Amino acid sequence: MSTFFETLQFIVAITMTDGDYDYLIKLLALGDSGVGKTTFLYRYTDNKFNPKFITTVGIDFREKRVMYTASNPNGTTTGKTFKVHLQLWDTAGQERFRSLTTAFFRDAMGFLLMFDLTSQQSFLNVRNWMSQLQANAYCENPDIVLVGNKADLADQREVQEKQAKELADKYGIPYFETSAATGAEVDKAVITLLDLVMKRMEQCVDKPPAEPASGNGATKLGNAQPNERKCAC
Amino acid sequence: MDLSLLQALEKEIILEVLRRDKQLRIIEEDRIRRMKCELQELRRRGAKSLARQYGERTCARCQRPLGKFWNSGAVCRGCSHRICSKCRVGVGAANWKCTVCHAYRDVKIRSGDWFLEEKGKKFPAITDKYETVGETLLKTYNVLSHISVVPPTPPPQLDYQFLSRSGDLKHAQPFTKSVENLMVSFTSHIKKISTSQNDVRDLLRVNNSPRGIKYSNQKSLSDTDINKCGILCKVPSLPNLFKKNKDSDQEGSSTGAEEETSFSSEYSGGRRSSNSSVSTECGLFESVSVAGELELAIAYNANSSCLEITVGACRGLTHGDTKKRKCHPYVKLYVLPEKSSKMKTTVKKNATDPVYNEIFKYQIDRNLLFGKRLQATVWHAGTLKRKVFLGHVLVPLDGWRYEDKSSQCFTWYPLCPKIESPDGGTVE
Ligand SMILES: Nc1nc2c(ncn2[C@@H]2O[C@H](COP(=O)(O)OP(=O)(O)OP(=O)(O)O)[C@@H](O)[C@H]2O)c(=O)[nH]1
Ligand SMILES: [Mg+2]
Ligand SMILES: [Zn+2]
Ligand SMILES: [Zn+2]
Repeated sequence: MSTFFETLQFIVAITMTDGDYDYLIKLLALGDSGVGKTTFLYRYTDNKFNPKFITTVGIDFREKRVMYTASNPNGTTTGKTFKVHLQLWDTAGQERFRSLTTAFFRDAMGFLLMFDLTSQQSFLNVRNWMSQLQANAYCENPDIVLVGNKADLADQREVQEKQAKELADKYGIPYFETSAATGAEVDKAVITLLDLVMKRMEQCVDKPPAEPASGNGATKLGNAQPNERKCAC
Repeated sequence: MDLSLLQALEKEIILEVLRRDKQLRIIEEDRIRRMKCELQELRRRGAKSLARQYGERTCARCQRPLGKFWNSGAVCRGCSHRICSKCRVGVGAANWKCTVCHAYRDVKIRSGDWFLEEKGKKFPAITDKYETVGETLLKTYNVLSHISVVPPTPPPQLDYQFLSRSGDLKHAQPFTKSVENLMVSFTSHIKKISTSQNDVRDLLRVNNSPRGIKYSNQKSLSDTDINKCGILCKVPSLPNLFKKNKDSDQEGSSTGAEEETSFSSEYSGGRRSSNSSVSTECGLFESVSVAGELELAIAYNANSSCLEITVGACRGLTHGDTKKRKCHPYVKLYVLPEKSSKMKTTVKKNATDPVYNEIFKYQIDRNLLFGKRLQATVWHAGTLKRKVFLGHVLVPLDGWRYEDKSSQCFTWYPLCPKIESPDGGTVE
């Protein structure tokens, strides 16, 4: 179909085929067909815009290496930077691929839930996508960023920022209005999601073992004391 | 999930994506393996040696003596070992961890184990949490169309090349049901394909029984099953880590304690080592869920032409006897597809975290390792010679880089729930 892009991807892949990174983070874009998932990811990885609509067959992914600077819970940076290899899964929005694409939700660590700001219908479907995520993602409340795309088409806008913001707040997730055409907010949306996932990893390993998945972050420091007795020496 | 509704071209496009994904995963698994080997090294270096007197008060990490009243150390929250003040990482008087526990935490994050753990909580039914959906699909739909035209016996001389280049997949047949049954995971085979006749036969043997009823009645298991547990999709993980550092920390001086068991003719006189017993075993295994990990170190000693397999320990095993909550585990090793290669550890009583540290030597010419796989099965030795399958691990031996020091150290392998016959699936 698009041999040019395939070749391009191949070249990119070659430069990234070593294990010299600290984290492999798998993100996944989902949303109705035509909202701009593929175009969005292409903008993010290659900083280019493709005005042609070539609907995605099933699934695809793109890759990008980024430097990530860890920050403390209070917002100050620890100064530590890590190499992150991002695997960005692109799913087909078309209904007929649904069982395939939703199956891939399970292996992603974070989600870009996209709709088209010029399509009310795509926004209405966000709720359906949310429930698909709840059912199929690796946990009940995965990290998600809501993305309203095609912000550049201001005259065709059908979804108001306030509306979308309210929905995002209801789910407790960040919201961005992006444009794959101009590149506006694209990086920010992805990095915000990456940041959420990075923080989630820490939470997951630091929550006391044997405790169920209910993310109650309150660590009982008192627990450390009784151990004193069973000294291994 | 089923791709049967899609057009052949679409499937091919999707498979191409999955193959790219596979490439990425191979790199990733390699990275994780290295990471975990380093961790193991760190643990080993700091581990309390058994030779040391137990009453002695020393820091479990650096082994420096600890005083009774000053510099007396404190107990790490992670591993419950007594640790000197120099071997602590982290802030605050209460929030520190010892160097090893800290490294474990770090690896758990960087390896993605945190994610697998979470995923496993939500989908406990997934038999192999290490396997991604992409991996499963690739295994199910990757077709070597040539298989169908080659008679199974006698094995034809296969040209290595024609099986090993992914370009050949272009000729793959469309995904009809019949072809589906011939699915063989292509990628994991590349490493296994051998010119030896035996192995080619293995490669070509495919299973015609539909998925699902396999365990109950079959005698030969297909390569698809083997690949399900193939090492390529597997990297050791660190569950139960913080609960259980204690015993495993002590295997630092393992070589002193090993019991040299040679693999033997046990097979021919063996009680239940025939193929037919395997299906019985499979029947038994279905009643017990598989959990935990097995620690192995594999090395090739070029001087003695020996493959040296050290069974380190297991952790987090299921109770073989669920009613009495008892577990007497032992580990059985085969170098597949050799039938005569059975090796067995001692049985440990009442242990779900047994420590073996037993070394097995298997004499084999190095280049004959090509195409061979090490199968390690964990069994519960029940009463009346009943044994219960607790899980197994398959390690391709040809992909092993014996020169690479890091791959010779202990590695934890997650136990897989499937079992194949000891010979790798010979039809009787
Ligand atoms: N003006 C404008 N057009 C966009 C933007 N993002 C995407 N498009 C266009 O929208 C069309 C659909 O974009 P795709 O990225 O292919 O849509 P998709 O979500 O991947 O669709 P499926 O693969 O079918 O699920 C293309 O013609 C894009 O060029 C944007 O931000 N602004
Ligand atoms: Mg698309
Ligand atoms: Zn110390
Ligand atoms: Zn510790």
